[in-house]
Amino acid sequence: MTSIGNGLKNYISNQFESLGSNLVYVAPGKIFDDKGRFSNGGGGHFITTSFTQDDISVLKRGLKNTIVFPANQNPVEIKYKNTKKNTTLVGTTVEFGKYRNFLPSENNGRWFTNEENDKKSEVVVLGYQIAQDVFGDINPLNKKIIINGNNLKVIGIVDKKGSSFGGPDLDSFVFIPIKVSNRIVGNDHIQTISIWAENKEDISNIKEEAKKILLSQNYDKEAFSVFDSSQLLSSINTIITALTVALTGIAAISLVVGGIGIMNIMLVTVSERTKEIGLRKAIGANPNAILLQFLIEAVILSCLGGLIGILLGALGTFAISKFFPAQITLSSILLAFGVSSAVGIIFGVAPARKASKLSPIEALRYE
Amino acid sequence: MTKLSSNKNNSEIILELKDVVKSYNSGGTVFTAIKGANLQIKKGEFVSITGPSGSGKSTLMHIIGLLDNPTSGQVLLEGKDISKLQEHQLANLRNKTLGFVFQQFNLLPKTSALENVTLPLIYSDIPSSKRNDLGIEMLTKVNLLDKLKNTPAQLSGGQQQRVAIARALINNPKIILADEPTGNLDSKSGDEIMEFFHHLNKDEGRTIVFVTHDPDLAKQATRMIVIKDGRIC
Ligand SMILES: Nc1ncnc2c1ncn2[C@@H]1O[C@H](COP(=O)(O)OP(=O)(O)O)[C@@H](O)[C@H]1O
Ligand SMILES: [Mg+2]
Repeated sequence: MTSIGNGLKNYISNQFESLGSNLVYVAPGKIFDDKGRFSNGGGGHFITTSFTQDDISVLKRGLKNTIVFPANQNPVEIKYKNTKKNTTLVGTTVEFGKYRNFLPSENNGRWFTNEENDKKSEVVVLGYQIAQDVFGDINPLNKKIIINGNNLKVIGIVDKKGSSFGGPDLDSFVFIPIKVSNRIVGNDHIQTISIWAENKEDISNIKEEAKKILLSQNYDKEAFSVFDSSQLLSSINTIITALTVALTGIAAISLVVGGIGIMNIMLVTVSERTKEIGLRKAIGANPNAILLQFLIEAVILSCLGGLIGILLGALGTFAISKFFPAQITLSSILLAFGVSSAVGIIFGVAPARKASKLSPIEALRYE
Repeated sequence: MTKLSSNKNNSEIILELKDVVKSYNSGGTVFTAIKGANLQIKKGEFVSITGPSGSGKSTLMHIIGLLDNPTSGQVLLEGKDISKLQEHQLANLRNKTLGFVFQQFNLLPKTSALENVTLPLIYSDIPSSKRNDLGIEMLTKVNLLDKLKNTPAQLSGGQQQRVAIARALINNPKIILADEPTGNLDSKSGDEIMEFFHHLNKDEGRTIVFVTHDPDLAKQATRMIVIKDGRIC
């Protein structure tokens, strides 16, 4: 259980790295509250605000040692032969491919160029999943897809990104030069701005600067968010921590249930063995010797039980990890082991202790 | 263990009960099984206890054998008041001074004859290397050398009781207490055991107290005690 939560955290930070580093994002709406958690009141702004080419120019001028690039996002339907799919059309620039790690790898074509943007060439780069969904086994390169009546040539396929938790499924997006998208969707609204920083240390300054600039552009401070991936990451980690706590709760409940199981077995064993305790006392065992015997047995039994449990847990985690990023940590092993041993030992020894205090004949007569 | 005092009169009496009462409290009603027992057993005596069923024979034996505590009264073993002893001292007496033989044998199941016999040695200071030799010696004495590895389930009643007697003897106890040792046996096995008891008493000088409801066996003792309704007659 806890291994699932831990695996999730690692998985997500890897995911973020695959989306590019040294990046600051500007998005519409208030995404984070003052404590850096995801805000729950930003929905309205999220839909309404958009940025303009002018904002981009001002940001570019105001921020040093950075690369600022826009992206617009619009829902569209794409068509290839008889296959139709709903997707998100991302209009952006050359820099998006480079700095957000969207460049297609070798043999998967290429990202579009500045000339193609300037000449409004009708070219498109497909996300991994949408390429699969639309083309299946066919190689999409150089095929033409239709978006809002425009024929666009597929020039590249982005490598699989995996879905980003809570965020959009980037693998299902299609990417075209921003000037082409402005024409296709009939407006030049910009939904997100990415700012790549040359130096990681500058990121917090850049965020402050970008906020000031946008406020001076007359945006309400509630209308946009400036954040970086570490911030996003820590917010998501907060959620996962909560999730892990919940899962740990479930794990705790199963440990308790398992513990009660062990306890019952131990109690049955002890009542069966109270006669034995009586006999041992009758032939001269001192109560401490009996306790020691039961303690050793309980330790061996519970440790064996704990080991078997951990092996099964490891197998389970391994099985789940095929579908879900789960991971075993030492602390969860120790927890499981500790609880099963503690329960085994306490409930193995406590009744033995009680039995060893009876007179030999009382214990021998025990039914 | 502290040696007995130099008082000669006292050293004759190995076991003594003074006004022993044993009551059971079951579900609010008090039942008195032993109603004030006084008894002195001298070293080397061979004593039988008889009496009707339910008269308190086993209860008395358990108190003598330090397996149960009297409700009131005193038990003196080799002159020492056992109520003044600590738990580990009692354990030591049960282990070394007394050998108790039960009617129901009380062997550990799934455990070999040899392991059953050597069980008391675990709780005495006999080194583990010597335990098996001693166990084999004892089982030879009771004629079970060929059954060392048998579990109780693989032994006849008479053989099981002989294992139990070997266990009672393994620590060389001065006193052997046997509660109907032949009660669950056929007369031939019973006779063998009685013969062995005679040997232990005459040749090895051990004090023996045994319970029986067979008048012929009881008569073989040097002293007969009759108990009726919780009282020694
Ligand atoms: N644990 C006990 N609780 C209540 N009564 C008991 C208990 N043990 C023995 N008794 C009673 O004490 C009396 C004497 O029992 P016991 O000594 O076993 O008799 P005997 O061995 O002479 O047949 C019986 O009436 C029996 O029911
Ligand atoms: Mg009886």
